[in-house]
Amino acid sequence: MAHQAHAYHMVDPSPWPLTGAVAALLLTSGTAIWMHFNSMSLMSLGMILLLLTIYQWWRDIIREGTFQGHHTPPVQKGLRYGMILFITSEVFFFLGFFWAFYHSSLAPTPELGGCWPPTGITTLDPFEVPLLNTAVLLASGVTVTWAHHSIMEGQRKQAIQSLTLTILLGFYFTFLQGMEYYEAPFTIADGVYGSTFFVATGFHGLHVIIGSSFLAVCLLRQVQFHFTSKHHFGFEAAAWYWHFVDVVWLFLYISIYWWGS
Amino acid sequence: MAGRLLLRGCSAAMQLRGTAVVRPVLRTMASSGGIPTDEEQATGLERATLQALKQGKDPYSILKPKHYTGTREDPHIVPSIGNKRLVGCLCEEDNTAIVWFWLHEGEAQRCPSCGSHYKLIHHDLPH
Repeated sequence: MAHQAHAYHMVDPSPWPLTGAVAALLLTSGTAIWMHFNSMSLMSLGMILLLLTIYQWWRDIIREGTFQGHHTPPVQKGLRYGMILFITSEVFFFLGFFWAFYHSSLAPTPELGGCWPPTGITTLDPFEVPLLNTAVLLASGVTVTWAHHSIMEGQRKQAIQSLTLTILLGFYFTFLQGMEYYEAPFTIADGVYGSTFFVATGFHGLHVIIGSSFLAVCLLRQVQFHFTSKHHFGFEAAAWYWHFVDVVWLFLYISIYWWGS
Repeated sequence: MAGRLLLRGCSAAMQLRGTAVVRPVLRTMASSGGIPTDEEQATGLERATLQALKQGKDPYSILKPKHYTGTREDPHIVPSIGNKRLVGCLCEEDNTAIVWFWLHEGEAQRCPSCGSHYKLIHHDLPH
């Protein structure tokens, strides 16, 4: 076998970028077809292909890193840069929705009654379930940090317990937010208030679900001894993402739930 | 496949709860807390780089090259897995034109522009 004299990973050819791109095409066009022509086929096909791509691509990365040892220190550094850049792009994504919210709420138009919250909107009390949600996410930030320290200190049982607790708190947030959505006295169709509220908190909720899934995969890997006390970047990436989700919620809570009420 | 993974994960978690009462006599390999170390578990190229760095060696050029003065007594040491390697000399700091030349094994060569000495040293990669 010819050996490389550098520490980087020249990845083997893989079909998953192509299947991912095809899935993205099917999902987007499929959603448009669903909205106009009452057919879910294309969208469902795209969803299935996306899930298959996700599973197999990340399975391959775990094989390359954990089982084959391709993730040398320089490779890991590149992965860190990648995750940071991705989270930064997500920050900009949410920035757009906050812009929309502040654009509408700082100078409310006559159609809204010239006030914010708009006339006729009964807002949610920020000191009830939303405050509990804030406490839940902040606590989950503590437990995920506990999990990280447990891994670094080689404490398997504690790592598993704290990571499980983090995921449970994530589920609790999602459950509570789901209840709030169901019981809310306004809908997404209720003017610009409804739009900004549900799009911003809705995308946040989606990111909570994504973050919980990422942490759940880390739990599975931790149970199966993938992580070492020094090398556990998958977990660190999940923890970074989780902290980002927490910070977005804090901004949502302060802006929309509290100031906007 | 995913089902198998979940099953293995569940059974591992169940075993964990089970052996919590019994003292971990089986866990002789893993460090005392139960999470493996790189020393125990790193494999492949990662293991090779970590082991080499532990011995103060850098066969995969991860670190910045050591600084040499470039005189006849203290030439730039250029490690190579073959018997020649391309060298790019920045004669002065901030130069934008790099002077490229092949460095062959044997006597130290000098940069055609600034005259710094370069010596090829053969080294093997850890397998």
